[in-house]
Amino acid sequence: MHSWETTERLLESGGFESRQRVLVEEPVVDVSDSGARVLGVTYWRAVGLFTRGAVRASWTGGGGKLRLLGGASLLTFGPPELSVHDGVVACRHGIRGGLLALRSGGSVTLAQRSAGEQHELTVTVEEYLPRLAARVGAPWWTGALYAKGQSPFHAAVSRRYFELLVRGHTG
Amino acid sequence: MKVTIFGATGVVGQALLPLLGEHEVTAVSRTKRDDDGARWLVADAASGDGVAEAIDGAEVVYYLVHSLGSRDFEQQDRAAADAVARAAARAGVKQIVYLGGLGADDPDASPHLRSRRETGERLGSAGVPVTTLRAAMIVGRGSAVFETILGLVRRLPIMLTPSWVSTPTQPIALDDVARYLAGVCGNEAALGRGYDLGGPEVMTYREMIERISRLLDKRPLIVEVPVLTPYLSSLWLNLVTPVNASVARPLVEGLRNPTIAREEAIHELLPFELTSFDEAARAALG
Repeated sequence: MHSWETTERLLESGGFESRQRVLVEEPVVDVSDSGARVLGVTYWRAVGLFTRGAVRASWTGGGGKLRLLGGASLLTFGPPELSVHDGVVACRHGIRGGLLALRSGGSVTLAQRSAGEQHELTVTVEEYLPRLAARVGAPWWTGALYAKGQSPFHAAVSRRYFELLVRGHTG
Repeated sequence: MKVTIFGATGVVGQALLPLLGEHEVTAVSRTKRDDDGARWLVADAASGDGVAEAIDGAEVVYYLVHSLGSRDFEQQDRAAADAVARAAARAGVKQIVYLGGLGADDPDASPHLRSRRETGERLGSAGVPVTTLRAAMIVGRGSAVFETILGLVRRLPIMLTPSWVSTPTQPIALDDVARYLAGVCGNEAALGRGYDLGGPEVMTYREMIERISRLLDKRPLIVEVPVLTPYLSSLWLNLVTPVNASVARPLVEGLRNPTIAREEAIHELLPFELTSFDEAARAALG
């Protein structure tokens, strides 16, 4: 696992786009719906492991919640949308709300795709409207909470997720 | 084809036996039995007693044995797998079919799941090609996890559950597992290969509890308690379900590992429509 990158930008729509990636020598999941499902399951597991169980995902057929200490719903998600197309395996969850979302909208997508002779693993958050990010008229410290807290936390979880995927493949 | 089944008296073995009617079957158990139209032999894989006689002349050996419930189950599993692997190699067996567990390849796998993986490795150590089928939780009467959940649903109006209830799994019907096991018998394409067996739906244990509750027309209140350790869980399960604590503990430890299929090759080898969870659960409830 190498070539770690993390980027983030503010879109014209006001939403955030965040992307983390690494390159691996071999694909870590099968190019199938099952492989796509493994991407999703491993990501939510990484959240729980990274926070030592303080934040966990719980799921029903209709979607999932990231809950803090089994209580407050930090984020809520739609059910996994699995896709396999042109060698790209992906698991996408729509963001529906929660304490950390200003409103419903955006998504998180976990993917594996070919990158030359290697394979790229990515976590992409698109059109997410974080409640903690600075908004017009909001106090300055709300933006700092996002920039210094939630954003690096998300990147760290993504890194843990990549490590878990690679370990799961080779272990 | 001559086939020997270790673990023929177990839940899976009993479901498999009727599907091997075209073969000459030797069913192995630790105590004497006479039924089901098969030839029954007494052998104990863990001690090695009677293993060579049971395998003699067989072309395919099914290994459906585990030592869950024993204090030293990992040691017993190792000894049993070694004994069968050596005897199979000496007898010129063409294929060993092993039923392992999904999630066993997880680097953080529980001792029970690790033991399932090691058993598969040891079965292949003497050179006989092993076909490994890795199943998620099996939905059928007598399946330990299914009976545990059933016991909880039947007896408890309020459930204090540990965090494993949020672990995803892909439960598969007992009949479907038996069909896959029968389908790989002597199948050249399956020699030396491993396949993941998952049911048609992925769900958490909590969802499974809720689905079974609906089938039983019950509405238990489920409260997740993060501090419930596997040890406390197993004592609790011992108290309120028919499953013994020595079986429950390694099972509960294993429930923290997601058990979902990582690949779908079995669908190409043996295509058929899988049984839905509700249908499998209804059949198990009788």
